[in-house]
Parts: sequence; C-alpha cells; structure tokens
Amino acid sequence: MTLLAFLLVANGLGAENQQSEALFFRANEAYKEGRFQEAVDGYSQLIQSGHETGHLFYNLGNAYFRLNQIGWAILNYERARLLMPRDADLNFNLRYARDQTQDAVPESQGVMNTAFFWLDTFNLHELFWGFAVFNVVFWAILMTRLLIRPAWIFYPILVVLILWFIAGFSLGLKWYQVHSDERGVIVQEEISVLAGPDINDTVLFKLHAGTEVCHERSEDGWSLVSLPDKKRGWVKQEAVERINGTEKGANFSGVI
Amino acid sequence: MIHYNIFSPYSSSREGLFLRRAHASLSCLSLRVAALLNLAKIAIGCSAKAAALVLLFLVLLFPCVACGDVSVSIKLDRKEATLVDSVQLVVSVSGSRSSDLQPIVRGLEGFNVTQGGTASRLEIINGKVNAGVDYTYFIQPKQPGRFQIGPAEVTVEGKTFSSNTATITIIKQPQASGVDRGPLFLSAGLSPTRAYVEEQPTYTARLYRQVKVSDISLDLPETEHLVFKQLGKPLEYQSVLDGKTYQVLEVRYALVPSQEGLYTIGPTRMTMTVYQPRRRTSPGLFDDPFFSDPFFSFSTGRPMTLASEPQALTVLPLPETGRPADFSGLVGRFDVESKLEPTTIKAGESATLTVLLSGRGNVNRIPNLQGPELSHTKVYADEPVLKVETDAEGLAGTKTMKWALVPEKQGHYEIPPLSVSFFDTTTHQYRVIKTQPLSLSVLRGEPGMLQASSQRADEHPSEGPGKKAVKELGRDILPVHTSAKDLAAGYRIRPGHVLSWLVLMVPPFLYGATFWGLRFRKKSDQSIAVIKARKAAKKLIQKCRKGKISSSELALSLRDYLNERFDLALGSLTPDEGAAILRSKGVSLKTAQRFQSVLHRLEDAVYTGKGHERCDSLEEVPKLIKQIQKEMR
Repeated sequence: MTLLAFLLVANGLGAENQQSEALFFRANEAYKEGRFQEAVDGYSQLIQSGHETGHLFYNLGNAYFRLNQIGWAILNYERARLLMPRDADLNFNLRYARDQTQDAVPESQGVMNTAFFWLDTFNLHELFWGFAVFNVVFWAILMTRLLIRPAWIFYPILVVLILWFIAGFSLGLKWYQVHSDERGVIVQEEISVLAGPDINDTVLFKLHAGTEVCHERSEDGWSLVSLPDKKRGWVKQEAVERINGTEKGANFSGVI
Repeated sequence: MIHYNIFSPYSSSREGLFLRRAHASLSCLSLRVAALLNLAKIAIGCSAKAAALVLLFLVLLFPCVACGDVSVSIKLDRKEATLVDSVQLVVSVSGSRSSDLQPIVRGLEGFNVTQGGTASRLEIINGKVNAGVDYTYFIQPKQPGRFQIGPAEVTVEGKTFSSNTATITIIKQPQASGVDRGPLFLSAGLSPTRAYVEEQPTYTARLYRQVKVSDISLDLPETEHLVFKQLGKPLEYQSVLDGKTYQVLEVRYALVPSQEGLYTIGPTRMTMTVYQPRRRTSPGLFDDPFFSDPFFSFSTGRPMTLASEPQALTVLPLPETGRPADFSGLVGRFDVESKLEPTTIKAGESATLTVLLSGRGNVNRIPNLQGPELSHTKVYADEPVLKVETDAEGLAGTKTMKWALVPEKQGHYEIPPLSVSFFDTTTHQYRVIKTQPLSLSVLRGEPGMLQASSQRADEHPSEGPGKKAVKELGRDILPVHTSAKDLAAGYRIRPGHVLSWLVLMVPPFLYGATFWGLRFRKKSDQSIAVIKARKAAKKLIQKCRKGKISSSELALSLRDYLNERFDLALGSLTPDEGAAILRSKGVSLKTAQRFQSVLHRLEDAVYTGKGHERCDSLEEVPKLIKQIQKEMR
C-alpha cells in the first residue's frame, strides 16, 4: 500500500512538472513570436505556482521590457538578482533597463556593503552553503585535535576559525539584508509624491517608472517612500512594488 | 651648414673590408650575446655564472624554437652600379642557424661571384627568440643591363625555402676624366637635374678613398626652398675609377623643392681624419716586403676637409593645364585600392569600407578622402593611418582610410568610386585615380535594432595606431533563458528550513558526542580501577579478620592485593619492592615504610620456620590497607 501511495505521489509530481515545462515553453514561444503579454502571463503563472527561480524572474523582466513597462522590468530583474547575482545576461539587461529610466537617483552604498563587498556577489543560498562547508571543516579539525592531538593542528585551527567566523558573519548579514530589504520600484509611468497620505496634499516631486526607492511604511492604501538623498513623501500603494514583497498576488520573499 | 657624423675608422684594402665585415658580424654577435647575458642577469637577478647558464639554456633551446618558421630573403647594397663595381649580396636565412647546403642564387650568370663569409645571428626581441644566418657574396657585373637576381634557394632539414628577388641596373663605366684626383676625393651628383615642384630628385654624395680615414662628418649645403631628406643608411662598396680601385662611401638624399626656380646647390663638405703610411728614410731590419704590409705600416692621422662640386637644379612649376579642381598638391606615382567587408549584412549592422592610397612622392600630402554619401546609411569615419618609408629610391608611403557603413533599410546599395588626383612625374601629366565601384546587399534587420543602432557609434575615439575602440552600433537587452533546467528551483535545502539547521548542527553535535564519549570512557576506566581496588582491599581485610591466616599466606595475600590494586603481575614481592610500588602510586613515605616493615616481619617469620604459624600482625594489616586506600583516593 505504501509503495502504491508513493508511486501515485511521484506520478502526480511528474505530471505537474510536465505541465510546468509545457507552460514554460509556451511562454518562451510567445516571447519569441512577439506576444509579450502572453509571455508575461505564462512566466507569472509559473512563479505563482512555486517556480520562483532567478531565470523566470529574468524572463519576466525581459517580457515587461518588451512591453515598455520599465518599472516592472527593473522590479523583476532586481528579484532575479537576489537569486542569481552573478548572471551576466541579467546584469547587462538590468544596467540597460536602468539607463532607460528618467530619474537620476544617487546610488547609496552602505559601510557594511563596502567592507563585505562579496555580499552582492553571492546569494543567500551560496553564503549558507559556504558557511556549511566551513562549519564542517571547522568541527572536523577540532575533532582531529580531540582524537589524535597532532602538533601541527594549531595554525590550521586558527585559519579555519577566522574563515568560519567571516563566513558566519557574512551569512548573518546577508540574512538580515534579505529579510529587512525595504527597496521598492516605481511601476507606474509617472507618479506625484505628496507631502501626506491624501490626494489633496502638496505635490513634493515626481517620480517615473523604474526608479528605486526605500519603502518605509504603508497606511490606508498609501506608502511612505524615500530616496537616498533624503527626499521623502507619500505615493499610492499600487504605484510602488517592493522587491522583496508581493507582485500581482505572488508572494516573493527573496529566500527561495 | 648641416652637420652629420657618419662613420668610425676603417681600412681601405679589400681584404680589410672582408675582415671588417666579419669583425662587424662578430661584434654584432658579441654585443647581442652581451645583451642576452645582461638580460638573463636582470631576469634572474643573480650572478654572472647563473646568467651564463640561463644563456646556455636559451642557446641550446633555440634550434628547437627556430626551426619551425624559416624564411629566406636577399638584399643588394645598391640598385645601380657600374661594370667595375663590386656589389654586396646578402642572403639572410631566418629561423635556422644553419642550412644543409650553401644557398643557390638564381640570376647570377652575368656576374663574377666571390664569397664574403657567413655570419650567425641570435636575437631576442620582445621576448621572442630569433636566429639566423647571413651568407655574404660580392658580385661583379660582366655586362651592362638590368638584371633580376634571385630567388635564392636554401635547404633546411630537407625542406627547400625560396627568397624574394632583387633588381640591379648595371651601367657602363664612366669615361676616364684624365684627371688624377688622388687617393681621396668627394663627389656629388643630382638626378634628375630638372624637376617639378614637390618632386623629389636624388642627391648623392660619394667619398672615394684609397687611404684609411676616421671620424667622418658631413656638412650639407643650405639652400632656400630646398629640403634634404636622407634615404636609408650610408652605403659602402668598392668601385674602380680611372683604372684605380676605391672604397666608396655613398650617402643619398631626397631633395624636396617647395618653389620653382633655378637653384645652385653649394658644395657638400666632409671632414675626417686621414691616416697616411709613414715612409722609412733608411733601409734596415724591416726593409722587407713582408713588413710593407699595412699591418706593419705605422701611420699618423691628420684632419682634412673635402668639398664636392656644386650642382644645378631647375625646378619647374606644376602645369596649369589639365589641373583638376580637387588637386591637393600630390606629386609622384600613386595607386588606389578599395575593399568592402562584408558585402552582405542585415539592416542596422555595419560593413567596413577600406581605401588604401599608396605610392612614391610627397606622401605626406596624401589627402584624407571624403566618405561615400549613401541614402539611408550612416557613415562613420575612422582616423586615417599614414605609413611612410624611405629607401634608396626616395619616399614611399601608404594611407589607410576606413569607414563604417550602417544601412538603416534593407536593399542593394551601390558605393560610388572615390577619386584622388595627383601630378604624375613619369608622364608629366595630372592623373585622377578612382576606386572600383562596390555594392552592398542589406537584408532585413532584427526588430529593435534599427532605432538603437547609431546613438553611440562615435563616442569612443581610436586608441593608438592599428587598434581602435570597439564601436557600439546597437543596444538592446539580451534574450530570455529557455533551458528547461532554468525552471528548477535548484536548492532543496533552503536557509531557515529545519534541514538547514540540521546541516549546521550535525558537525558540532558529532563533536560533542565524541567529546563526551571519550570523557565517559575515561571515567569508566577509572571507576573499574577503583572497584577492583576496593575488592582487593576488602578481600584482604576479611582474610585478616577471620584470624586463621599464617604469615606465609598473609605475605601472598599482600602480594595479591598489590597485583589486583595496581593491575600488576608480580610473582614474588620483597619489602623494598612493595614500598617502592606504593611510593610510585602516591602513597606517603610513612605508610610505605609501615608496609615495608610488615612485609619484613612476615619474611622473617617465613625464613625462621614460623611461616605456617598464625601471624602476629593480623590486627595491623587491615588498618594499613585502609590507610593505603585512603591515601590513594
């Protein structure tokens, strides 16, 4: 009975994978033939069904770019970048898409990001597995010391301890960055940033699609956003999408 | 006056010439070897001995390196000579330091040939090892005419390699002037004596000598609107004039007249130190023909200045008739070539049109041509590159001009010919030369490429000759990822998942388990020992308390106690051994001495025949054992 149940579950998973692959190829075909909205729908459906891979976010970004929706394109490129930060195609397209935006916003680089410069190069998974490897090596070398006490063990322990500490700290920092990522992208063509969460408030400045902002909080359908140069104001909640958040109903946590 | 320092001392005999050449080759080789040695020393930063070893390694390595790429070339020291002149012919083999046989040179039927020696070369240029061998010959013409010499054929490791050819014109010996000009004189010549503005007649200064000279310097005449440009290095050869053999030093210049008129070019002056053989006044020991050899001729140097005869030059203006409207002042002989690569492209892509304008004359005035004007096509010009060379015939050069053509629409494009005009000094007429018409097929381009094609094409200037920055002709995003594996999530264990914590916790858990396991084992070992000790003590004390134990039995029981207590295997036990064992296990001296004393009494009882009798120390032994147990805790 158990074997039968296992076979049924495995069969069901196989069928689901086949469906996902068919949908993926249909979306790719639609993109190739210029039916970009269809491609957007296909890639979004796959993401919502749990296939939250960097490649799918990248493809979705491309499809939005072809539809001239720069904001959504940059949003999805940024989401893809959380998962595959070293992908050359992605970085090229993101750079190109950013070139198409209208607002010149200064880039902010934190002290920790400067000191731990490799954090942008690796995703959370890679840092986790890196730390896991150092963890094994560290405890293995301690075990060696415990069992056979060789004379040469001191310096290897010192080196591995330092690496273990750096890897662990990097993992913790990345974890914090991913889970406290407040970045958002303006997805509407042009929006007015107001002094308060009311349509009658003073217009402070305007932002355009693709501009990256910091999302501070939301109230009654309004979001408080800020720029690196300390400009702040309120925008309609639907005008800004958080990178590490929800996209048209799909939850994206950045930790896949 | 323009002042030139030309040469270092040398002798005048033909044998001397050969020796000098060989010496020059050897000097050259020794200099290269010295340079190599220095290079090796610098490279490895150690002693000369080590540098020599590196050099030896390089030299030994060299034949393997060099044999792969063999080339042969021939070179004549002049392009024109008289019937009595001796012309130097050098066959240079690169890529091998030896050949299987002597080179075979074609076209030498009209010449008498004398071998001039062989010289090896070894060079390291920009880290590339190159070596070769030069075969030198001196050829003397038998008849006047124009001769093609070569190709030379050289066989290296069974393979035959051919060289280029060289051409020489042999003229008859000039008529004897009937004037004896002595062993040293300077002559000058101009060819042609009538020239157009910007044409470049050749001015030749020749020093004829039969004596040894040194420290030669040359002063050229200064004439307004005439510029001298030296053509190549000074030549040195042997010639016969008025029946006398001279060593000749020849220096050639291109004269560039910038204005029409009649010019008198003043005498060229050469200053040098002349060495005359000293005559002996009286016959003596050295008055033998052997000692009349120049080697034994002690001579003194004296400074001397020689002047050539002045030359007349008529410079004609360029004719007005037939002058093209776009004439840029280019004078000489020129050709133009063009090519288009590729000839079929997609709309939005680029093709390169290259035009090469080359020739002899005032090449510095080769104009920059205007690029073709094509409808629906953007044209981006590269920086033109001019390459100028000088040889015995004058100035030669090539200007390379390139354009990137970016058609915006599909179709068939005809590229009109580009033209340039110049005054031909051979025909004395203006000529217009044109490139061949070229055609470009343009296919339908990729969507999104056309509007993006041109905006950044001219942002990056060229960086140095021969290389230029890559031009970005279009910008677009890269395509979607279509592999099915792109759909897979990739990571089964995610950070924060229970399994991830398990992965991180397993190694410290294993370590902890091992640590506590080892500790427990150690404790267990200690506990067993304690239990055994207690048992042993209990057993002995019980025996003593029963009261029916003899001295010999008690002695054995004490031995067994020590064996069990300390895990020993003693067959017999002396009082001293017992005390020593207890001391070594940490028992106090006093207790050990008590133990020793008890054993002594038991031993005495056994050896005095009272071993089977009841022991007197039965009350003392349990106390002693308890004390030992207490001190051992």
